[in-house]
Amino acid sequence: MAEPLLAPKLLRQLEQFQLQTGRRARSSARGERRSKAHGQSVEFADYRNYVPGDDLRYLDWNLYGRLDRLFLKLYEEERELSVSIFLDASESMTFGEPSKFSCAQKIAAAIGYVSLCGFDRVTLSALPDSAVTPAQRSALRSVRGKKSSLGFLQSLSLLNAGGMMSLNDSLRRAALESRQPGVAIVLSDFLDPTGYEVGLNTLAGRGFRIHAIQVLAPDELTPTHTGDLRLMDSETGAEQEVTFGRYRLKSYQRAAQNYIQRLREFCRARGLSFLSVSSGTPVEELLLKKFREIGLWG
Amino acid sequence: MSFLNPIAFLFAFTLPAVVLLYLLKKRRKTKLVSSTVLWQRYLADTQANSPFQRFRNHALMWLQLLLLALAVGALARPYWNGSAGPSRLRVLVLDGSASMQSTDVRPSRFEAARTQARAWIDGLRDNEQAMILLAGAVTQVKQSPTRDKSALRRALDSCAASDSRTRLVEALQTAAAFTYEKKGEENQVSGEIHLFSDGASVDLGELATKNLPLIYHQVGSEGRNLGIVSMDVRADAEDPTRRLVLANLVNASSVHERAQVELLFSNQVVETKSVEMPPTNSSAVLLSVKQTSDGVLTVRLVGADDLSVDNTASTYSFLPRPVSILLLTRGNRFLEKGLRSVPRAQVTTAADWTGPSDAFDVVVIDRVTPSIWPSTSILAIDVQPQGWFTAVTTEKTPPIVDWNHAHPVLRHVNLDNVDLAESQLVDPPSWGVSLAQSQQKALIIAGERERKRVLWIGFDPLQSNWPLRISFPIFLANAVEWLNPATQQTADLLLHVGEPIRYTSRQAIQSAIVTRPDGTSETVIAQKDGHEIFYGATDRVGIYSVRAGTNRATFCINLLNLAESQIASRTNLVMGRYAGVSSVSTRSAPSEQWRWWVAGALALLLFEWWFYHKRTA
Repeated sequence: MAEPLLAPKLLRQLEQFQLQTGRRARSSARGERRSKAHGQSVEFADYRNYVPGDDLRYLDWNLYGRLDRLFLKLYEEERELSVSIFLDASESMTFGEPSKFSCAQKIAAAIGYVSLCGFDRVTLSALPDSAVTPAQRSALRSVRGKKSSLGFLQSLSLLNAGGMMSLNDSLRRAALESRQPGVAIVLSDFLDPTGYEVGLNTLAGRGFRIHAIQVLAPDELTPTHTGDLRLMDSETGAEQEVTFGRYRLKSYQRAAQNYIQRLREFCRARGLSFLSVSSGTPVEELLLKKFREIGLWG
Repeated sequence: MSFLNPIAFLFAFTLPAVVLLYLLKKRRKTKLVSSTVLWQRYLADTQANSPFQRFRNHALMWLQLLLLALAVGALARPYWNGSAGPSRLRVLVLDGSASMQSTDVRPSRFEAARTQARAWIDGLRDNEQAMILLAGAVTQVKQSPTRDKSALRRALDSCAASDSRTRLVEALQTAAAFTYEKKGEENQVSGEIHLFSDGASVDLGELATKNLPLIYHQVGSEGRNLGIVSMDVRADAEDPTRRLVLANLVNASSVHERAQVELLFSNQVVETKSVEMPPTNSSAVLLSVKQTSDGVLTVRLVGADDLSVDNTASTYSFLPRPVSILLLTRGNRFLEKGLRSVPRAQVTTAADWTGPSDAFDVVVIDRVTPSIWPSTSILAIDVQPQGWFTAVTTEKTPPIVDWNHAHPVLRHVNLDNVDLAESQLVDPPSWGVSLAQSQQKALIIAGERERKRVLWIGFDPLQSNWPLRISFPIFLANAVEWLNPATQQTADLLLHVGEPIRYTSRQAIQSAIVTRPDGTSETVIAQKDGHEIFYGATDRVGIYSVRAGTNRATFCINLLNLAESQIASRTNLVMGRYAGVSSVSTRSAPSEQWRWWVAGALALLLFEWWFYHKRTA
């Protein structure tokens, strides 16, 4: 049996959080989130004139007594929130110690668990599709309710990374396939040679509230291999000759930070929240501290 | 184009090394990474800022090759022949006199002067020429004008100080000949004369009007020196078996000095005396030795001072021998008595002499004309030998205006109160000098004819009051001493440094072997007639022996120069009454630096190369 992704103690700590949506739920299913729709709940929303056929239980008889006119009381409809987690499971995520995929798995598990505790509907999409079996895919799709969390976490822990993936294509396809846009969590290293801009733009265009979380390995931020090297891309197989030494580390780090900064500015320009984390960072610090700081949950 | 330092082309071996570095193929390690995106960004950033962007095109290699080739070429010191304009010549004159051997500056003044001169050579610009003169016993041109610093340094290294007295005037006149250029009617200065000297005992009065472009580089300080400045050996009048040695000492320093004076006979110490010398004073020391054979008498000063050359003086002394004198006269009691009173004199009197005169050391001819003119030393009184003088005049009561009391013949002779009734007057001939003068003409002549000493007196002493004066017997004693061939032989054997050795042989010889004080020998070819040899390389103090067949002669070369013993270095050189030149203690010298710059650039390039590879290691 696979080792649990999150410790029970951490799960108990996560139960107190609720995913911050930043907007009203647009789902058609009833749930625990406030929405723009009017329906049955305890939260008064507005009045409107009575029209024949309306449920007489919602007439405001006090107003009828004073004004001799029939008004219907409207209440806010509470709908469920759709939470989509896009987990990069390509070959590049297998690198790092601990691996980037392992770190992303735990983050996805935590977000999923928090969402399920909040009666949100959670869908986890592993990118590329080939990384998951149909059974896993169905087990991770449209999961709702805390009682489903155990199965969700078990299915998630069984995922393996591998294969080649285009982030743009995968996100665009996922955006088009989604029926109800809600909150989208994109967990990736964003180190795709074809870029990430189109995919994120498509997601944002579909109305998703996007949280982009970049997971990088410590070795990618501070390379330890030096000398005359021929670097081979794990996904594309492309080769890059480079001469690297400890005196050039700062130049590399500056280039890496520039890349991250470009991604951050891209997200900020489109109202996306962004966080770059190292896979070496303790998961407790990420979940209990960093995610609260960026307002992912509270 | 030529190269002054073509050996620098050996550095061209570094050119293939650079090519080899580029021929070496890099061995890259293959490394699987998650993504090359960040690396591509990094390379894009660094390659945009790196000056070595075109490394792979080997442009840097060509640059390095070019730089190396230029550096190697520069080190080879290229120059063009005949295209450079006229340059100023610097004549470096090194004083190689005895005083430059003083050790008041370590290791010696001469070495200090050599160091200064070397600094000047190092500081020469490329278009400047220099030449080196060594002012020793003779002036030697050690290096003719050149821009080749290597040749100048080699010439400088070959210079050495001699034991001779200072003869800077000749050297400076030689230098002056190079530093003037004829421009129309005028001489224009085209160079500088750099004199590296201590300035001791330098008399440049002759150069007062030359307006020399002279720069004086002073070496040395005051210095401490005690030296022997003269030496004389006489027979002891009281004990004929003993010889008296009179040595004059001088203390040239400004402090009181004590020293031991030793007298050595044939290298054996025979007498020692202590002397105390007040500052800048001189004193005489009288030493005596019982002489039983001919040999070298040496006076030696024992004590530490800065100049050792003048601490020893030697002379060859013969055993006292009787002097045989032939007096040809018709009768002159004063003269005969005076001659007989001369120590060890054996006088033979005759009116005429037809036999061989070789048996006599001195022939005195008193107002007679001998049938056969003697072939020995002659004292001629009131005669007119044929061919001696060009014109002879007779004058009544000529006054004795002046006389040369420095000459050995007139030593201690006073002619003040001598009156003459009549005398023959002559112009000084080429073979002699005037000892006594009556206005424009000479009364007494001393000289040398056909290798024999001759003394001529133009008046009859009996026609004067001279025989009644005390100076007359003194004069006769001096004359016999001077005319005596043994005395002449002793004088010939005592020479100053730089004076040539002249060895005369009765038999004809072809050559002689001269052994120098340091033990080295040299064969000297005899002059045309085979009776004389001359040897001029007497630049070291000491005993020189000459061997010609079975004959031997010993010559003693001494410094014996008061001026040279005054070793105090002078700041100013006096040139006559009004002119002079001061020493330059410091003077900024332009220094050739470009080689260091090139070498630095080369080192920087190699460092850059090393650093680049270190960073990528």
